[in-house]
Amino acid sequence: MAVTDHSEGARQARTRSGRDWSDLVSRWSFMLPAAIILAAVLAYPILYTFQISFASLDLATFTATEWVGFENYREILGDRGFWNSMKVTGIYLAWALPIQMILGFGIAYLINVEWKGRSAVRALFLIPMVVAPVVAGGIWRMMLDPLWGMVNWFLGLLGLGNPDWLGDPNLAMATIVIIDTWRWTPFVILIATAALMALPKDVFEAADIDGANWWTKLWSITIPLLVPIIAATFVVRWLGAVKMFDIVLASTRGGPGDATNVVNLYIYEQAFRSLRFAESAAMAVVVLVLTMILTGLFLIGTRRLERSY
Amino acid sequence: MKITLQVSGIAIAAVMAGPAAVWAQGLGAEGSPVEITMIANEAFANQWQEQMVPEFQKVYPHINVVIDGVPYTELLAKSMLDATGPDPVYDIIIADDPWTPQLAQTGVLLDLKGEQVAGWTAPEFEWDDFYAAPLAASEWQGVQYGVPLRSNLLLMFVNKSLYEKAGLPAPTPELTWEQFFEQAPQLVQDTNGDGKVDAWAVDTYFLRDPLTPTIWQTIMNSNGGALLGEDGKAAFNNETGVAALETHKRLLEFAPPGAVSHGFNESLQAFRQGQVATMFTWGSVFKGTAVDPATTTLTPEQVGIQVMPVGSASAGAHRGIWSGVINNKSENAEAAWALLQWLSSKEGEAWQSNTLGVFPARRSTLDSTPESEWMAPVFEALKQGYEVAEQGQMWRPRTPKSDAVQQVLADEVSRALSGQIAAQEALDTAASRIDRLLD
Amino acid sequence: MAVVDTGYTSRRHLWRRVRIVAGVVLCALFLFPVFWMVLSSFKMPKDIFTTPPVLFFEPTLETYRSYMSRADITRRMLNTVIVAFGSGALSIVAGTMAGYALARVRLRGAGTIGVLILMSRGVPPIALAVPMFLVARKLGLTDKHITLILAYCTFLIPYVMWLMRAFFQSLPRELEEAAMLDGCGRFGAFFKIIVPISIPGILSTLIFSVILAWEELLFALVLTNRNASTIPVAIAGIAGDTVNGANWGALTAVGTLTVVPVVIFALAVQKWLITGLSEGATKG
Repeated sequence: MAVTDHSEGARQARTRSGRDWSDLVSRWSFMLPAAIILAAVLAYPILYTFQISFASLDLATFTATEWVGFENYREILGDRGFWNSMKVTGIYLAWALPIQMILGFGIAYLINVEWKGRSAVRALFLIPMVVAPVVAGGIWRMMLDPLWGMVNWFLGLLGLGNPDWLGDPNLAMATIVIIDTWRWTPFVILIATAALMALPKDVFEAADIDGANWWTKLWSITIPLLVPIIAATFVVRWLGAVKMFDIVLASTRGGPGDATNVVNLYIYEQAFRSLRFAESAAMAVVVLVLTMILTGLFLIGTRRLERSY
Repeated sequence: MKITLQVSGIAIAAVMAGPAAVWAQGLGAEGSPVEITMIANEAFANQWQEQMVPEFQKVYPHINVVIDGVPYTELLAKSMLDATGPDPVYDIIIADDPWTPQLAQTGVLLDLKGEQVAGWTAPEFEWDDFYAAPLAASEWQGVQYGVPLRSNLLLMFVNKSLYEKAGLPAPTPELTWEQFFEQAPQLVQDTNGDGKVDAWAVDTYFLRDPLTPTIWQTIMNSNGGALLGEDGKAAFNNETGVAALETHKRLLEFAPPGAVSHGFNESLQAFRQGQVATMFTWGSVFKGTAVDPATTTLTPEQVGIQVMPVGSASAGAHRGIWSGVINNKSENAEAAWALLQWLSSKEGEAWQSNTLGVFPARRSTLDSTPESEWMAPVFEALKQGYEVAEQGQMWRPRTPKSDAVQQVLADEVSRALSGQIAAQEALDTAASRIDRLLD
Repeated sequence: MAVVDTGYTSRRHLWRRVRIVAGVVLCALFLFPVFWMVLSSFKMPKDIFTTPPVLFFEPTLETYRSYMSRADITRRMLNTVIVAFGSGALSIVAGTMAGYALARVRLRGAGTIGVLILMSRGVPPIALAVPMFLVARKLGLTDKHITLILAYCTFLIPYVMWLMRAFFQSLPRELEEAAMLDGCGRFGAFFKIIVPISIPGILSTLIFSVILAWEELLFALVLTNRNASTIPVAIAGIAGDTVNGANWGALTAVGTLTVVPVVIFALAVQKWLITGLSEGATKG
């Protein structure tokens, strides 16, 4: 606020026009590179997606041939598989996101102790994110297989039975959440660690002098200061998680039955396996609209939260 | 349908009438070689580039071949995106069994029995030498668009040692499904005497995958059932279809724990580790399963290969042929055909089967004695398999929407196998979805 | 600080130790699947799926040898490095500036653009891949690094922008005020004061961006053929081997190889993270 107030004042004092104009350009030049790149690369693909979602697609040219109105939408809204995939995605998100956020910030807070190995531990925590999804899914499959998997072998030693991690419909969803949490908690840790490091030290020193215990410091200093970054991490993770399908493809293939068939896997299969590009475009538009609405709600929530602190 | 055929006809005519300069390169010459490009399954692109291409160049030294590998699941979409462009990168597309109708539909494929290509075809090429089933994989509506380059069939693999341990005779191609299920309980056994079951009767495709329905379909076909009727509508949601799906599901009772999420790779590992007595899968894995000590614990003497068990109509063998097709916009069609022709010729096929262990499709090759001893029983299984596949139409649906149909089957068969819904309901749902799709 | 009883200090020491041990244990837990991957890469393919699983075996370098000799693995690794760092760098520059604009520059309409940019992430990438290919083909840009870099920017920039916006928001406003008073101008204040003090956030976001681009598969599959093809495409090919079955020796070996450069990069960056911070602190 102080900065902008100051410049407002300065502006009025000086002559208008020329300075005003260059000031506006300098402000906008922060926004423009990103906006231009995205508009240039995304404008046509998004337009194309909308267009073919209302048309029938000729595979001989990959162009829309005939305007069919809402035909594709009627088709997909009557598709049991699509609705099921939305439900599955909802369940997955409802479990995975909170677990990853809590675990991520918790671990980041926990490991934020100064010692020799700190940077190494931080770098090592990144590795699960780096392993290619195909390999990661396969490794987990390998470890969780009831026949040759080391997890069940270990459970067997402890006499804990032989759960069918990927074959039981309910357990399969839990398995997907576990793998996804393993993969993406490191991202939350990474961002949370950076945020913790950037916290102003003087505030904590002041609190120490006041004799505040760590619980008070956590709730009245750390968390309020972290609210913007917690919210941003959540939004980024949410937008990433909505699109998750690689791990499912590599571990359960959406099965057993359709228990883990998330919506992006379904769209992917409709497009790349079944070559039903028009229908998959309609699904993409539905997903886009829903994602926009929910993201909008999260942003409003974020703003409220930021204001209240 | 007619329209696109006409279009492709016009395209060919246009190319034929076009300036001679387009064809001037032909087969290349000293100092001015021709380069042809090919899009293929990543699984064998490298092998072909490194071993097949040098061999081909011994015959055609002025044709360079560049092969780009694409992972199987994206190969069709990527081939179509490229082929339908105004200036396609690839002269040759290596297409899986159900893809020819889908590619032909877009009007981009060259008619290999057409007048133009016939002029480039050697008289000793002998189209009739191919078994009907593999050749038909690249035919669509009476036009031959491709030649079989890597043939494959769903077959039954047998671990003879486990049969012996169970006190059972090794199965023969006459084995019926009844006999299989009679013996199955004995094949779930404890082989090392520690009181724990450590070997099971069978493993195959059970997970949600487009290839899982092929197992069910083969059982249904060998009992006289068909996927689509004469009218092109779903014909599987009947007693034969339901019984076949229940048979497929019944296999799970004799399969290792966790088999409901097993597919191609997992069943293969279980069999290679000697944990299952039988496996229904693609014949092409034979070398890595019975011969190559780096990948398997078994030996050629232990592993039997034969057609899938006999039903009320015949034995079973589902077809899976990789064919080579040529883009009719290709400027190097003659050189492209030279490659496909050589590779599917009697000499090329014999070389490929002896050197790379790739399965042939010609009678003359299959009747010869293979150089590797382990190949002999495979040849026998293939010969019988081609016959039964032809007879029972044991292949994926022949329609431009084949992969979409297969995906619907994958969804519903998997729901039935995992016990989410009953077999009848699954097939009814699949039938109505497929009829809407093909409408 | 000065007056603390010894009981408090020793409790603090204990708590510190507990935190270190817990951190290491958790890290080990997260790394276990990775350990299993590395272990499997040194096994013969037939020894990977044994029952019970084997921990001790005679290691072999066979899979590494047979796969490293393949030219396309090295080429694809190089492509992956170019594309991941290229798109990471471009996104960091554009995204950080946009994040700053959203957090601190008062700009009418920028908020809307920012939210639109963020919302663009809601489009399933599958829907974008085909039209992107059609555009690239029309422009003669298929199978080029720049195409892939720009395609990756579409998903990296929104993330960078949003994360950096949050980092900038938590900075004290007096910083820019002081800089602007010094006559730095808006750009000067941003590059000389704001960027240095935000190094931890920028580097963490950069690491994240590079990793996302590093493992991207779908766009790489559709937009490249040979020249710009990346490692994830190679991995998908090995996993989808329909002829012989997935070779898990090769998959784990290539998987291990792809992890190494990123870990080295992250470790190298960690050093900067510390120095960057202390510099910023002194300036602040």
